[in-house]
Amino acid sequence: MIDNIRDFLQVYVENWSNWGPQIYAAVGVTIQLTVASFSMAIVLGLLLALGKMSRFPLLRAFCVAYVEGSPVLAILFLLYFGLVPLGIVFDAFTASVIGLGLSAAGYIAEVLRAGIQAIHKGQREAALAVGMTPMMTFRYIILPQAFRIILPPLLNMLIILLKDTSICSLISTEELMLRAKDLAMMSFLPMHLFLLAGVIYFLLAWPLSIATRHLEKVMQRGRRQTFGI
Amino acid sequence: MGAVTTIGITLASFSGAIILGLALALIRLLGLRLINVLISGYVEILRNTPVLAQLFIIYFSLPSLGIMIDPVPAAIIGLSLNGGAVLSEVFRSGLNAIHHGQREAALAVGMTPWMNLRYIILPQTWRITLPPLGNYAIALLKDTAVVSAIAAPEIMFWARNLVTSTFQTTFVYILAAILYFCLSFPLARLVERFERRQSAWL
Repeated sequence: MIDNIRDFLQVYVENWSNWGPQIYAAVGVTIQLTVASFSMAIVLGLLLALGKMSRFPLLRAFCVAYVEGSPVLAILFLLYFGLVPLGIVFDAFTASVIGLGLSAAGYIAEVLRAGIQAIHKGQREAALAVGMTPMMTFRYIILPQAFRIILPPLLNMLIILLKDTSICSLISTEELMLRAKDLAMMSFLPMHLFLLAGVIYFLLAWPLSIATRHLEKVMQRGRRQTFGI
Repeated sequence: MGAVTTIGITLASFSGAIILGLALALIRLLGLRLINVLISGYVEILRNTPVLAQLFIIYFSLPSLGIMIDPVPAAIIGLSLNGGAVLSEVFRSGLNAIHHGQREAALAVGMTPWMNLRYIILPQTWRITLPPLGNYAIALLKDTAVVSAIAAPEIMFWARNLVTSTFQTTFVYILAAILYFCLSFPLARLVERFERRQSAWL
């Protein structure tokens, strides 16, 4: 048993000079993808959230319907393969960022809307009554309060996005999963490489999970205090 | 054709995930320390790695240990194991939300622990967990698309095949997206209704 484990680990040691740099670069791409699509999703999600709360029914209906959506993979295929006949060609990385961003935006919009609407409307009315513009009200009164409600689910979305970047390997984005798959095919060591990929994803996602859970607790504590007053 | 497989995989792994998740959550309630550490380790690992990596390990890596699994069973096993981890957290928070007085009262009137679980705790947990369960079903439906990567013949796989034979790339992929939308939209409406009904009870 122990010999087996040692043999198993020995393979990593032997191949590390070959695998290491490639995996390292791929992890970089995975992180870039996550950050880029998360930023895009937040901007788009904020617009959608505002659209959902707008007075125009048509805009509202569109923004509500947007959220339901279809799987990331379907969106990615549509962007990367499906738009080519129309003359719109993205490279794999761009298509991945757009696809992940679009699919996460719906969820983020919902989180933002819930967070913003959880703020008592008296806050807004008071701010307007003291002569703040709607923009100032949103920026200085609503957003800071909504932020603490919004933050944990946003971090959660970041974790989901990080995991979903693995799906981008299916449209040949050079990220961790694709690299692991290629190396696995070349070396005939699928167990080693997919486990390695799993461990790396875990090491990236776990700290985020812990942070999310911690934040959830902290935020809840704050809310309970306000109720206590 | 693909849609049927998609629905089949979704239903099968959803039931698998519910059974596994509920079992894990209930075992955790027993409070055996070593087992709890193992379970939370399992949950953490499965929740913090991509489904695709888990599927690849099951489908591509296990054969090197001599375990061969067909694409569809591999997909169902992978999604169930992953879903079990997610749902065990859902069930756990549902079980925790029930006031401990309920259990004490049930035991005080002479119910056995099993009867307490069956007639007092689970019906109330069920009510609390229904909306998150529904949301998970929608997420699962979308996750089944990933299964095409291990060649399970569901909607995306079928779409890819159709593209190679017809070259109608744009049309086929839009059709696939619409198909998913048609499947998840009614589900989302249903969940919304559960949520509204639940807030009516509060």
